Amino acid sequence: MAFVGLEGLSKAFQGVEVLDSIDLDIERGDFTVLLGPSGCGKSTTLRLIAGLDSVSRGRITIDGRDVTALEPRLRDIAMVFQNYALYPTMTVEQNMGFGLKAQKLPTETIQSKVGEAAELLGLTDFLDRRPGALSGGQQQRVAIGRAIVREPKLFLFDEPLSNLDAKLRAGMREEIKHLHQRLDATTIYVTHDQEEAMTMADRIVIMNGGQIEQIGTPEDIYFRPATRMVASFIGSPEMNIFAGTMTDNGIDTGLGILTKGPGAVGTKLQVGIRPDDLQLVTEDKKLPEGPTIDCRIGLVELLGPRAILHLRAPDETELTAVVSYEDLKAASGETARFLIPSSALHIFDDATGERL
Amino acid sequence: MHLKYKMIVPLVLVLSAIMLYPLAFSGWLSFQDYRLTRIDEVHPVGLENYRFVATDPAFLNAMRNTLTFVFGAVTLELILGLSLALLVQRLRIMRGFVRSILLAPMFITPIAVGLMFRFLLSSEIGVVSHYLGLLGLSVDWFGPQMALLTIILIDVWQWTPFMLLMFLAGLEALPKAPFEAARVDGAGPWLTFSRITLPMLMPVIVVALIIRALDAFKVFEYVFATTRGGPGDQTVTIMYFIYQTGFRFFRMGEAAAAAVMLIAVILVLVVALVKFSKIDRSKG
Amino acid sequence: MFDYPNLGARVAATIAIILALFLVLFPFVWVFLESIKPPELGARPDVWVFTPSWANWQEVAFESDVPLNIANSFFVAAVTVLISLLCGAPAAYAFSRFRGFSGARYGILGAEMMPPAILILPFFLLLYHLQLIDSRIGVIAAHLTFVLPVVTWFLIGFFDEVPKDLESQAMIDGFTRFQAFYLVILPAVRPGLAAAAVFGFVLSWNDLFYALLLTGSESRTLPVAIAGFWTFRGIEMGKMAVAILIAIIPVLILSHSIQKHLIRGIGGGAVKY
Ligand SMILES: Nc1ncnc2c1ncn2[C@@H]1O[C@H](COP(=O)(O)OP(=O)(O)OP(=O)(O)O)[C@@H](O)[C@H]1O
Ligand SMILES: [Mg+2]
Repeated sequence: MAFVGLEGLSKAFQGVEVLDSIDLDIERGDFTVLLGPSGCGKSTTLRLIAGLDSVSRGRITIDGRDVTALEPRLRDIAMVFQNYALYPTMTVEQNMGFGLKAQKLPTETIQSKVGEAAELLGLTDFLDRRPGALSGGQQQRVAIGRAIVREPKLFLFDEPLSNLDAKLRAGMREEIKHLHQRLDATTIYVTHDQEEAMTMADRIVIMNGGQIEQIGTPEDIYFRPATRMVASFIGSPEMNIFAGTMTDNGIDTGLGILTKGPGAVGTKLQVGIRPDDLQLVTEDKKLPEGPTIDCRIGLVELLGPRAILHLRAPDETELTAVVSYEDLKAASGETARFLIPSSALHIFDDATGERL
Repeated sequence: MHLKYKMIVPLVLVLSAIMLYPLAFSGWLSFQDYRLTRIDEVHPVGLENYRFVATDPAFLNAMRNTLTFVFGAVTLELILGLSLALLVQRLRIMRGFVRSILLAPMFITPIAVGLMFRFLLSSEIGVVSHYLGLLGLSVDWFGPQMALLTIILIDVWQWTPFMLLMFLAGLEALPKAPFEAARVDGAGPWLTFSRITLPMLMPVIVVALIIRALDAFKVFEYVFATTRGGPGDQTVTIMYFIYQTGFRFFRMGEAAAAAVMLIAVILVLVVALVKFSKIDRSKG
Repeated sequence: MFDYPNLGARVAATIAIILALFLVLFPFVWVFLESIKPPELGARPDVWVFTPSWANWQEVAFESDVPLNIANSFFVAAVTVLISLLCGAPAAYAFSRFRGFSGARYGILGAEMMPPAILILPFFLLLYHLQLIDSRIGVIAAHLTFVLPVVTWFLIGFFDEVPKDLESQAMIDGFTRFQAFYLVILPAVRPGLAAAAVFGFVLSWNDLFYALLLTGSESRTLPVAIAGFWTFRGIEMGKMAVAILIAIIPVLILSHSIQKHLIRGIGGGAVKY
């Protein structure tokens, strides 16, 4: 049985449904990331699991126990908040020990546990300081420390790194992943940063508009997006997506007839290709199979060895491609030839958005 | 002249005329034998007025009454105001309505408050006394046992709303996140209140305390409306004492000396309060 | 009514709030009933049901000095507030914006807290010598001693909240600093000005102490008149109740309108919420 189970979980604020019947099973020890655009209901889901908001419909189980109606303190969880939520009037030590104090543990036990966690997080020298006298990264560590001293069954993180600068963020990402492996605790982690999700998650749950779009490993999500929404949400630059219709010869799009696809003749489709998969045609390179198109090059964004090209196809469809800068012989305003590899196409039903 | 000085000129001129000059005048007055009844015989008497007032049992009594009043009233208002604020904050319905009603007393003229209670609590015609009487309770609100306490309670009725106003705003401004963290951390209501709410609210509490205490020192209207200092001199406050000395007995010199000493007492208290609460740090 | 998890707490809290509401409302209800009690029922504490009589209201309106007292109170409060805004607003702006005035804030606070006991003696003697006892000018001057500091203190807090970039922008756009102040900043703190004006008005309107000692029959303000219903001619409860209602109703309406801003004003930038 799953360690955390959500069954038909729904939440409405003042009659507005923001979570619509979510079903999700999370295995013990997994690092699960909830990912989705702003406002899709990630925080709401997490807060329902924590018990901070009440459930409108559905059930939550943790470790086989129905916790739907339990107070947060009875759920044996710990949570790290986006803005850290440290107690401003307490020292670091008191902050980290507060949850243990609430459990009425003896002072020595609290001290030793806090000491251990502080050691682990490199906070030993800051135990007497107040949160106001710490840097953002240190405050983040205190918040994590506060969670781990309680040795909960389940860790919840709500965008814990979004207030840190890029460099610190990368460092903390490693650290959290490391902690997870070391403590082997089940973790649910909310973020809207796909890079974070990709690098940290065992499993990613993509949410959109209060519903789950796809649950899968990072590879699944990237290489086999289950819906059009996932396809365009994951990956940067965004996937090129254009309309097409199924014909006898293949898929008829503005870019020409593409490969044979699934589905009956006449089906309306959405066809996607990642910018990295569009191939710049050069003489000396061996190319996979597929039709080619000539595009006019617009803006060129140099990323170092690679460049993002903004292209305009003969039928005026706008495309992006990421190519090796070395291969790029044409300049902005000129035309270059690109190949659309049939194997790299993602094909979705136009009506349902589902992968075909 | 720089603009910044130009902009404060009107204020400085007016305040000098209506405050600095009278203050200086009062200082001078406190060294004179100045009686309105013998206006032609005004003469300097050095520290005589201070010596007289400082050893005057009536002054010391008034000072004691005032300190009792300030301490009693402000303490009760703090406790009641904080409790009410915590309650109102948890109201799910009609919060704005309840708050507006509970705040009403602080806006009305204190003499009206004093007189309303004078007659509500009157032992002959008072509604409260009448119904307490039916219950077999007879409280002599303005008698020797109760008078000062009654005046404290009147002040509590009018000024607890001020504390409520300050604390409600303070509570509303507290960040929500630490409270959610405390819920997850498993803290019960008492631990949350004593370790999180109260410390975070402390700067507001200190400011509210100081404002209320300073204001309570000026109590006059309730005494004027109810007991006029009686029974005996049990409810003579400093303001009432100065009013009597200056405008009933026309001894302006002594009244001025008493006023100067009142300011000294207030200053000492404010400095002590500020030191005690380390307000400078909490303002940070 | 409450969202406490357990029923006992909800019941206790509800009872506490209802009790508090009752204690606050009861005097208001009583004074209203008293004002419409037929005069012959006068001082009966046990009569609650009667045919309302407007006799007290009529007597107060047509046969007493209360209309004059109202006019006096209004005039005094309005002029006091006007002067306070004129002197206080530019000064508050200067204290909020320019360097070198950090002590001034405490000076203003000190002035606000000054006990009237020390100011009343010189005021009385001076006005006595100038033969201005029983004039509204004297009361206005006395009321300025607390209204002006309060208004200034209020406005400092409101100016503190206006971003400094606002007048920088105005100055870049070609206005002088003073023009920036009255064309850009003053309009930006209009709610603050209104709140300060209302609060100052209420303070002046409510004052008894100065008015009691500095006014006579011509310049008497409403609070003094209210006190007078008890002093002279025994107790005239019904008419006193009318006068009390007249004194408190406008103030309750006015202050209700500024409740939101009041707290920022009282804090004056000293309390960061
Ligand atoms: N307390 C609330 N009252 C009303 N609506 C709310 C409340 N909390 C959240 N919502 C709404 O619910 C929806 C989901 O919000 P939620 O905070 O879960 O989004 P999110 O996925 O965490 O977004 P973000 O990435 O911006 O944090 C939003 O449309 C939001 O406006
Ligand atoms: Mg969120």
